[in-house]
Amino acid sequence: MKICMLTWEFPPRIVGGIARHCLGLAKALVKDNHDVHVFTLDFPGVPLYEEVEGVRVHHMRVELGHPSFTTWTFLFNHFMEKQVAMLSRDVDFDVIHIHDWLTTPVGVASKHYLNKPLVSTVHSTEIGRAQGLHSPDSFLIDGLEWWMAYEAKRVIVVSNSMRWELQNHFHVPQEKIDVIPNAVDMTKYQKEIDRESVRRRYGVAPHEKLVLFIGRLVPQKGVEYLIWAAPAIVQRCPEAKFVITGDGWSKSYLEGLAASTRYGDKIRFVGFVSDSDLVDLTMSADVLVVPSVYEPFGIVALEGMVAGVPVVAGNVGGLAEIIEHDRTGVLVHPRNPDSIAWGVNRVLSDPGYSQWLTKNAKKQIQETYSWEAVAKRTTQVYEKACMR
Amino acid sequence: MPDEIFFLCMLHNIGAISPEKSLTIDEITRWTAMEPEKARLNIRKLIETNYIQANINAGVERYHVTADGIRKVLSMYS
Repeated sequence: MKICMLTWEFPPRIVGGIARHCLGLAKALVKDNHDVHVFTLDFPGVPLYEEVEGVRVHHMRVELGHPSFTTWTFLFNHFMEKQVAMLSRDVDFDVIHIHDWLTTPVGVASKHYLNKPLVSTVHSTEIGRAQGLHSPDSFLIDGLEWWMAYEAKRVIVVSNSMRWELQNHFHVPQEKIDVIPNAVDMTKYQKEIDRESVRRRYGVAPHEKLVLFIGRLVPQKGVEYLIWAAPAIVQRCPEAKFVITGDGWSKSYLEGLAASTRYGDKIRFVGFVSDSDLVDLTMSADVLVVPSVYEPFGIVALEGMVAGVPVVAGNVGGLAEIIEHDRTGVLVHPRNPDSIAWGVNRVLSDPGYSQWLTKNAKKQIQETYSWEAVAKRTTQVYEKACMR
Repeated sequence: MPDEIFFLCMLHNIGAISPEKSLTIDEITRWTAMEPEKARLNIRKLIETNYIQANINAGVERYHVTADGIRKVLSMYS
């Protein structure tokens, strides 16, 4: 099949899970002999066209701009639409696949003028991310999310909790929705690393316990609850050292919060970490904490599990579906520092238990969360969408 | 959101994301409707954090968002 994939995020333009999802899926589809064209935005140092393991990536320049984010979004959709239209003179796409609301306008337009089926993957919703709709932009984004589900022939979501969200908030019929979980590239973690040297780079001494957070610094990720849990963790485990990667609009608030605890010197904000460094850092951690309060899937939990690191996660959304409590990881109450501290201390205080969790987790990941399996299920969705 | 980060997002959205698309202070203040002094202050802060880079073109100083700056902007929006 000839697949037209539209996404605002694709490596090296990485923000959250969508970039990793699109890359993993696209590569696996190519391995299954599909012709995949990804249309995404440009990024410094990257050519406008490149092939990444067989995936044809079109990085697109946005020739007009506007200070407002939503206006800019509609502008880049226009330029993407133009590029899709031009390429479609040479490539007869079978299906158009969009990811999240940011490429809804180009997806819907392309569906109609190319007369091809549209498949939409809803990775998360505005009402979930923002815990309500609080501004005109929020209402607009919510509308675009409804529209992408309405215009699509098939809608893919990454967890049952996301399916519930779409059915309840947007009234998308159940029979239109396919649940296909995310996956993880396990080959990235099949390497030897110098654990001590990696930890040293992030200010963690050999005897210290690296408590790792990976993700955007925004309220839905629940980092503030991990920071509030820090005193209880350090009291039980004085060697605990917190490394918080990522960036986001809550960063200043979180840094201030960390400084206000007595353990500000044990909490390090290291900012953006490249993908390859993130693999090494994850593999070097003693525990990975995913304290999300809203999490449609939680790809970072999968990455922790495949890296052989025990995962302590909020019992929400997709995390509750990925992790089997007390067998492949530890689930804790969201928004509850005491519960988070309990979970982290449980893992740090019992190395035998941690090892047992990670062994079970790795086995589960290998059996269930491969990109090959996701690509096969996605192809089935494309075939359903193409049926008249 | 801190003032300078909001300013960074606007710079990104108006397209100043490469040396070829860098903008002068005048151009930036016209686009953002921001007072020049405030724009200069934000630019100074953003250069310190390596989110913005300055370059001189035909004797005129121009500014654009760096790769780190783009990532910062994207993290604000997701």
